[in-house]
Amino acid sequence: MEDNSFNSLIPFGPQHPVLPEPIQIKLVLEDEKIISAEPAIGYVHRGLEKLAEKKDIHQSIYVVERICGICSFMHALCYCQGLEELTGTEVPPRARYLRTIWGELHRTHSHLLWLGLMADSYGFESLFYQCWRIREKVLDIMEATAGSRVIISANILGGVRRDIGPDMLGHIQKTAKEIADSLRDIEKVFLNDYTVCHRTQGIGILTKEEAYELGAVGPVLRASGVPQDVRSLGYAAYGELDFEPATETAGDSYARTKVRLKELRNALSLIIQAAEKIPEGEISVKLARKPEGETVSRLEQPRGECLYYIKANGTDVLSRVRVRTPTFANIPALLKMLPGHQLSALPVILLSIDPCISCTER
Amino acid sequence: MLKNSKDITIDELISCVSNLKYRGFRFVTASCADNRDGTFSLYYHFDKQLELENIALTVSRDTAIPCITTLYLCAFLVENEMKELFGLTIENIAIDYEGRMFLTEDAPREPMTYGANILIERKEEES
Repeated sequence: MEDNSFNSLIPFGPQHPVLPEPIQIKLVLEDEKIISAEPAIGYVHRGLEKLAEKKDIHQSIYVVERICGICSFMHALCYCQGLEELTGTEVPPRARYLRTIWGELHRTHSHLLWLGLMADSYGFESLFYQCWRIREKVLDIMEATAGSRVIISANILGGVRRDIGPDMLGHIQKTAKEIADSLRDIEKVFLNDYTVCHRTQGIGILTKEEAYELGAVGPVLRASGVPQDVRSLGYAAYGELDFEPATETAGDSYARTKVRLKELRNALSLIIQAAEKIPEGEISVKLARKPEGETVSRLEQPRGECLYYIKANGTDVLSRVRVRTPTFANIPALLKMLPGHQLSALPVILLSIDPCISCTER
Repeated sequence: MLKNSKDITIDELISCVSNLKYRGFRFVTASCADNRDGTFSLYYHFDKQLELENIALTVSRDTAIPCITTLYLCAFLVENEMKELFGLTIENIAIDYEGRMFLTEDAPREPMTYGANILIERKEEES
């Protein structure tokens, strides 16, 4: 029988209804089947690492916060932790707990945002609305505690800018419990709905060995069975709270969804624990000295491990700030997941790594 | 000097990376910094069960740096980044963007180097 199949090159993105941010995936297709994929980035490169070398160490917090709108707090925290290490500054315990609370609030709103976008990628609009409806409660807490809904600018070198009073801590605990209750309804759909399972199970499989070899991070790595979570290092207040990394073993889009659902519950639990255990005391201290030397600071963002390499020269202006964001690390894994799948599976697989291109390009 | 960092020469890079791979380390990323004396500090970061190990080397702009994508394919993005933003010579990268990963044709060359002519200007407010 004559073989009528042919290869074609399809540029997917940078403008596409399913893409929240611009990335182009150059696809080689055999009919509708993906043979290979190559990423093209650079559409939103802003040179923020360079800008951080032009501003002083305090101003640069605002620069790194703008690397990503969704995990802005985490970027500032990673940067501050690095400089606090270089200056030998010990952050007060209350500030460490407040950082944990805001950090987990960011993880909660980021995962809810992602769940909504994931639902949208397979056309489940009502599920998308429900996820974002729940997310609003988190954004309301951030506005009430820090004055802004997303980029909250709560971190400063040596601690945090604002305190959270006992009434608000009680409100946060109550809201976290309400969100945990609301999650039950959307979890059922993400984990049991026939259509959702059909679109995610067995789609975009990444084995444990591949995930490790390709340097994957965060939920992508953990959904393939590697229980690696930088929070286990115990930065901020994580070392004093009860926490286990969420893992799955199937390595497909369904497993990545399941890991993020588990992490949502973990994040809410951490918020409640931190609000219960938070000690009294100062919320910031001055830096012990000018920063000098080199360090690597790491933390677990919603999308995975973030790394800052910081080089200081004893002045208020840093010699180098290098940022390795989670999506940057997950792109090679994405390229491994795509071949063999139909073009229609691409939006789901792409969304399953929770891509943040603003982060990636800085 | 970074913690858990080992200074090596350019000739030792591939064997050192091979050794880390054999010992089960995951490639995390690489970092580059302009030393402002015509040389660059390069760090390759690896991780095993959250223990970070770093390889450090100092290179000049013209030093031919072997790519490590033959050992860790995932290094292709960061190698392209260093080549493009610092003007380093990294040879045989598995997927080579030839200086067009982040930068457009009219963008400043090697913008992350110390001498790069990068001006930061405030945008005029729209009336």
